[in-house]
Amino acid sequence: MDKKNRRWLIAPSILGLALILSLAWGYREYTMRKNMEVTLENNYQRLFFDVKKHVENVQTNLSKAMVANSTEQNVLLLSQIMNEAYFAQDKLAQLPVPQADIAKTQKFLNQAADYSYYLIQTHLDGKPLTNEQRGQLANLQENSAAFNSELSKLQAQLAEKNFVIGSLSSKQTARVEKGNENIFQTTLVNIDKNMAKVPRLIYDGPFADEMINRKPVGLTGENISKEKAMSIAKDFFGANKVRKINSFEEGEHIDEVAIPSYNFSIQLANTTDESVYIGISRKGGNVIWMRNSRPIGQEKITIEQAQRKALEFLESKGFKNMEPNYYQKYDGGVLFNFVLTEENVTIYPDLVKVKVALDNGEIVGFDAAQYYSYHQDRNLNEPQLSLEEARSKLRDDFEVNSSRLAIIPKGKNEVMCYEFKGRYLNGEFIIYVNADNGKEEDVLQLVIDENGTLTF
Amino acid sequence: MKITKRKVKYLLLTMIFTFTFLSILTYFKPMDYLTEAEYNKALAPRVLYWGTQGEDVKKVQWRLVQWKYLVGDVDGIYGPETYRAVRRFQQKNGLKVDGVVGPETAAALGITLSEARPASSAGLNRQSDEYLLARCIHGEARGEPYIGKVAVAAVILNRVEHPNFPNTIAGVIYQPLAFTAVADGQINLTPNKDAIRAARDALNGWDPTYGALYYWNPATATSKWIWSRKVTLKIGKHWFGV
Repeated sequence: MDKKNRRWLIAPSILGLALILSLAWGYREYTMRKNMEVTLENNYQRLFFDVKKHVENVQTNLSKAMVANSTEQNVLLLSQIMNEAYFAQDKLAQLPVPQADIAKTQKFLNQAADYSYYLIQTHLDGKPLTNEQRGQLANLQENSAAFNSELSKLQAQLAEKNFVIGSLSSKQTARVEKGNENIFQTTLVNIDKNMAKVPRLIYDGPFADEMINRKPVGLTGENISKEKAMSIAKDFFGANKVRKINSFEEGEHIDEVAIPSYNFSIQLANTTDESVYIGISRKGGNVIWMRNSRPIGQEKITIEQAQRKALEFLESKGFKNMEPNYYQKYDGGVLFNFVLTEENVTIYPDLVKVKVALDNGEIVGFDAAQYYSYHQDRNLNEPQLSLEEARSKLRDDFEVNSSRLAIIPKGKNEVMCYEFKGRYLNGEFIIYVNADNGKEEDVLQLVIDENGTLTF
Repeated sequence: MKITKRKVKYLLLTMIFTFTFLSILTYFKPMDYLTEAEYNKALAPRVLYWGTQGEDVKKVQWRLVQWKYLVGDVDGIYGPETYRAVRRFQQKNGLKVDGVVGPETAAALGITLSEARPASSAGLNRQSDEYLLARCIHGEARGEPYIGKVAVAAVILNRVEHPNFPNTIAGVIYQPLAFTAVADGQINLTPNKDAIRAARDALNGWDPTYGALYYWNPATATSKWIWSRKVTLKIGKHWFGV
């Protein structure tokens, strides 16, 4: 062949090579995608079958708990119900379905677990089940049975159609709206609808409806107007300190939050942007929280100086007898937890947090949401036990460093306890012993470092 | 035939350009993200500087004495002599000369800045919660005002406490179809300082939403269902609701 012809071949051969390369690359991508899809699908299938199994176990254990008569057996069964219900909830929430479709089901499982925990506690307190509690258990059993049979049906249908759960995650809302042909999702939606009819469980635990819909007890007085709230906000910072104040836009259901409030963003004098925020309760017009989000410069004052500033600030805002508890140093500021003390009793529910900037001692954060949620006039009774009697309830080798009387929240109630702070095997702990009956109510672990204290 | 040769040249040039462009796209990292060292500093503010006292300072002084940067007592107080010795050490070792012992200087000194913890509390901290929350804030609410970032974190924490949702922070954040930033992978961006600050404020209890469980951006929300929520408050571009 002559030179001309060979030259002519260069371009097509490069293009051909490129085509082959891209085909090979494409095939590789395709197999990789296939692999990942299968892995994901296997995981989803596993979750689904697990949910089914866990719900089954909840159902059978509930039936057993209703038959069993001894406290020991009941405690064992209830602890299994608690575990299985939490497992089911956890795995259900990992399936690729919208939260709205399984919200009630999750609530059912969480409350079943929470309720079991509550019953374990009453059992350990030596109280037998009441008729009402038996009724609630029967109810739970019935509902988990219904739930389980729906899942069984679904599983049979899925097996028949070789359904791929992973296909749900893409464009599924559109598909469901189209014709609700998707059995998987519609079954879950149906289960969820039935769960909405489950009678409300009455008990004391963190997931109980009563706890979730709790109203603040510390707010008193009339509802105030927005103008009044605005002037309260201005007064909070002092005269002529506020250059500009804007309220946040509100929705029509603003009154249905935990603490209905007016919220403002504020530009202080000598600053360039609206970096300060404040929330003021509608009822009573109390400042619920304030936060100045300005950047904080080089540290110039000590923690002790900052604490004095915080205490002065609280005094000036009308919070008397507040005792500094723990602090957390972060982002150039230090956040103090202050709790109310009355007649030498530390009242933990009445907590106010104050954050002080360590560059100039300015108060950059204030949060009394918890204080206003729990603060009330309390009748502090004399404790039935003496300090020594309570002390004797602790382990002998727990090295007590300090002790005092304290009120701690316990479910929806509050209990008076002796608080023992101390060390065990080099770890720092706080142990609360009921001041009336000597029951060990709570144990906290403290992690203390140079930036403050964390409780676990 | 010259034309063909030119064409080949063009083809090659285009390919080179495309590859350069692609590799820039793949490896480019915008400047507003923190470097790893900066991030570590923001996340774990364990740094020693003038005035710090304690075991860690002793460790630093001990090394400096061993390596003849410091002539003086190993007293555990970060005073002027320690400060000057640290500066000399940093200068010699090509570190940023600021007289502060941060993670990098500590690594160069061959020590780690954390006291030995008893077994019962070893590894107990809040950093993983902070970090995960910060990532979610960064992915979901990068352009929002500070309060909007805290509000997003507060919604996540409110969900953890609520029976209708998973019971851990990771469970809530990674619940399928719950957050767009998780679905499209934006959550894996390195969070900036504001996101970390907001995560800390939220973990320390500030809830500007008063218990909201949902938020959505009316401009981009695709789900009709979200509008059936009870609207309570607008912060930045997001509506919050229960």
